Amino acid sequence: MANNNDNFDHVIVKKPSVGQRMFKYRYFYLMFIPVAIVLLIFYYWPMLGIRYAFSTFKLKQITLRTGPDYSIGLGNFTRLLSSDPFHAAFKNTIVLSFVNLVLAMVCSVAIALLINEIQNAWGKKIVQTVLYLPHFLSWVVAASIFMLILSAGTDATGADTSNTGFINAILLQLGILDKPVDFLTESKAWPTVWYIMNRWKETGWGTIIYLAALSSISPDLYEAAEIDGAGRMKQTWYITIPSIMNTILVVFILNLAKIMNVFESVFVFYNSLVYDVSDVIQTYTYRVGIVGNDYGYSTAIGLFKSVVSLILVSSSDIISKKIRGYGIV
Amino acid sequence: MKKNVFKRFAAMSLAVVMVTGLAGCGNGNEADFTLEPGDPDDLPDEISLMADTIITEENGLQDFCDEYERQTGIKLSIEKPDHAKYYEKVTLSFASEEPADIIEMGSTYYPELANSGALWDMTEAWNNTTSNCKNIIDEDYVEALKINGVLYGFPMAAGNGTITYVRDDWMKEAGLSNPKNYDEFLTMLRAFKARGQGTIPLTSSGFLNNGETPYDIYLREFYQDAIPDFYKDEETGKYVDGFAQPEMKEAIQRLRDAYQEGLIDAEIVTNKTSTCRDKLGSGLVGAFNYWAGMWSLKLQRSMNEGQLKAIPPIEETGGYTERVPTAFAMSIYAPNKGAIFEHFLMFSHDGGAGQMLFTHGVEDKHYVMNPDGSATALPYYSDPDNTVEKSIYAPELTITEWNDPIPLDPMVKDSLEEFRKNRVFAKVPIVRDAIAENLADLNVVKDVVMANAVTGKTSVDEAIEYYNTKGSYYANAILEDLNSEENLKAEEEALAAATGGSASDDEAAEE
Repeated sequence: MANNNDNFDHVIVKKPSVGQRMFKYRYFYLMFIPVAIVLLIFYYWPMLGIRYAFSTFKLKQITLRTGPDYSIGLGNFTRLLSSDPFHAAFKNTIVLSFVNLVLAMVCSVAIALLINEIQNAWGKKIVQTVLYLPHFLSWVVAASIFMLILSAGTDATGADTSNTGFINAILLQLGILDKPVDFLTESKAWPTVWYIMNRWKETGWGTIIYLAALSSISPDLYEAAEIDGAGRMKQTWYITIPSIMNTILVVFILNLAKIMNVFESVFVFYNSLVYDVSDVIQTYTYRVGIVGNDYGYSTAIGLFKSVVSLILVSSSDIISKKIRGYGIV
Repeated sequence: MKKNVFKRFAAMSLAVVMVTGLAGCGNGNEADFTLEPGDPDDLPDEISLMADTIITEENGLQDFCDEYERQTGIKLSIEKPDHAKYYEKVTLSFASEEPADIIEMGSTYYPELANSGALWDMTEAWNNTTSNCKNIIDEDYVEALKINGVLYGFPMAAGNGTITYVRDDWMKEAGLSNPKNYDEFLTMLRAFKARGQGTIPLTSSGFLNNGETPYDIYLREFYQDAIPDFYKDEETGKYVDGFAQPEMKEAIQRLRDAYQEGLIDAEIVTNKTSTCRDKLGSGLVGAFNYWAGMWSLKLQRSMNEGQLKAIPPIEETGGYTERVPTAFAMSIYAPNKGAIFEHFLMFSHDGGAGQMLFTHGVEDKHYVMNPDGSATALPYYSDPDNTVEKSIYAPELTITEWNDPIPLDPMVKDSLEEFRKNRVFAKVPIVRDAIAENLADLNVVKDVVMANAVTGKTSVDEAIEYYNTKGSYYANAILEDLNSEENLKAEEEALAAATGGSASDDEAAEE
């Protein structure tokens, strides 16, 4: 008996043309028009500004309305890549942001797992509220809190100025330190303190998305694992973490795109004794922009940042596809 | 095939959009404008003003405009952008080809905009005016705004400056009088330190005030004759890098010695000015250099106990530094410039109704006149607990001799008198492309040098060596440009033109 499908072998299904398909879905396209206009005006039109990266464009050209001078070509990028402070800022941006990103991922996942284990609903809500609160403080307030609690409280002769922060006080009481340390002016200590401040402020908020992912795991999996004799640790390792791995990956890659944008948390926290480890691209751009009114150069820095972010996201997506078989882009 | 056609169509559409965009935001056209002042009596229908430090809308800005129109017959439209974005808005207003006629300019942006050719040269208008302002103004403030002899803005009020406040009660307890020289100043700080636990003899926020010039304003007692900025050496007629001069090394050494002795706040590097004010308010601080005038009152009120007083400068400093005044500048695109100069700028400093309006606001809205001829400030519309301090010009910083019917608080008056007796005007910051390109990086090097040397992380010699290695690239680029024949000649010519001579005349006279 011949296969019924054989009867259709000779039939060529003609795919409708673009015009036909557009006509078919004309109302969808109609509804899309406002969105497209908004996208073009607010997202793509401003991108035309990247051309200033290839120009000399300063205050004088704006006020006299003579427009940018494009004869400079790649001059802004040459200046950028030959600038020592920019090199230092670039290195600091990568180091601070990347370590912070990894810590953010680890801490948020760990805290989310712990919160998920709390059985008492009230207790869970209270813990979540306490953890989320620091997110709503401004960076200025967060930095002030850390400056207060980390204060050394002594003058240069070692005499007490009666405002020793409680971290130094505890470390002195425990005998870990023999004299107070000004953590905020020590290049070796500053990055660690900055990571801690970031985690204190943002870890709670970062758990939300993982808690949502955890709630979607089927309880059947845990029941089955329990019957098979798996303890809490093994359940976490073999069920929970693999189940939220996609979420972890998505959040990681999305945050990777933002690692060049670190600014406010550094700006309110750094000082002249720790520039070597704290000056990042955004603080560098801020100084150049404010003092120099050099829009061409500032745009070149912005474009450079965007290109680096694009490379980072694309690379991580490619790596993800190679290792896990899928990415997000 | 059709798919390709569609792709091509899409690509072409995108290209058209981009080209249109380029055309729209492209080189722009130079707008029509004249630099001629025109007839001063030719009243404009309307004057537009962009300002930052003026009374807010919720406290009666419209009442101010209405009263101005009532008094002059000219409609006044005021734009008051958000403070944090003020200068961004000013720049954008030029880019959008709609700058206001009159624009408020701080000391940093005033030379920037003047150098960019955006501001009208009002020197001649000022020289020729017959307004009462000419009779009652302190001309030093007008001179302070001249760049190579050219006036691009008119002072709104005194630039003011910082003065050293000390704890008078601590001085009395220690049996000390005002320090006259650096040694006595240190003796005073040592006496404060000897008070024991918790005392900070002197506090400040950072070693260099990099936000705006003058950089040394908060620590004048230690900088003395050192200038951590570029300046023109009057003897040679060439620019020098003040940070690389021997006086600067001595200044760093003085700061280092005082810091290491515990006379300067150990947290000076991380302090913000608000932190310093808080420490003073909690009674921990003996000396603090901060703004003269209204701040004397605010600082005193913030203190739980103790009495502050402003002291005269020590002799090594040569005086307290008065900042370049904040100015009202006129855009080159403004119409009827001569008339706006007379009916806005001169009117606002007329010593009469105009000055009252620009200082205290509108009668019965912002102040009331008393039967004895004095006036009383009324509460703010939005804050009934506080009275109106000013409409536009701060009364305590007035630059004219006039009978202000609202008397100043004695403490404000005293601190200002002390300051003005000993003031030295700061020069308008130099603006050149080379400075714009290199100064931000150079200032970071200066910051690092100062912080490391003073806190003892490096020796003074090592710090200077660091500056010579890391900073010389930027400093040399700036000096090369400043001392270029083209720049020096342009400066000479501008000065000669402003003073009525010419560079060639001077050369001929020298021969």
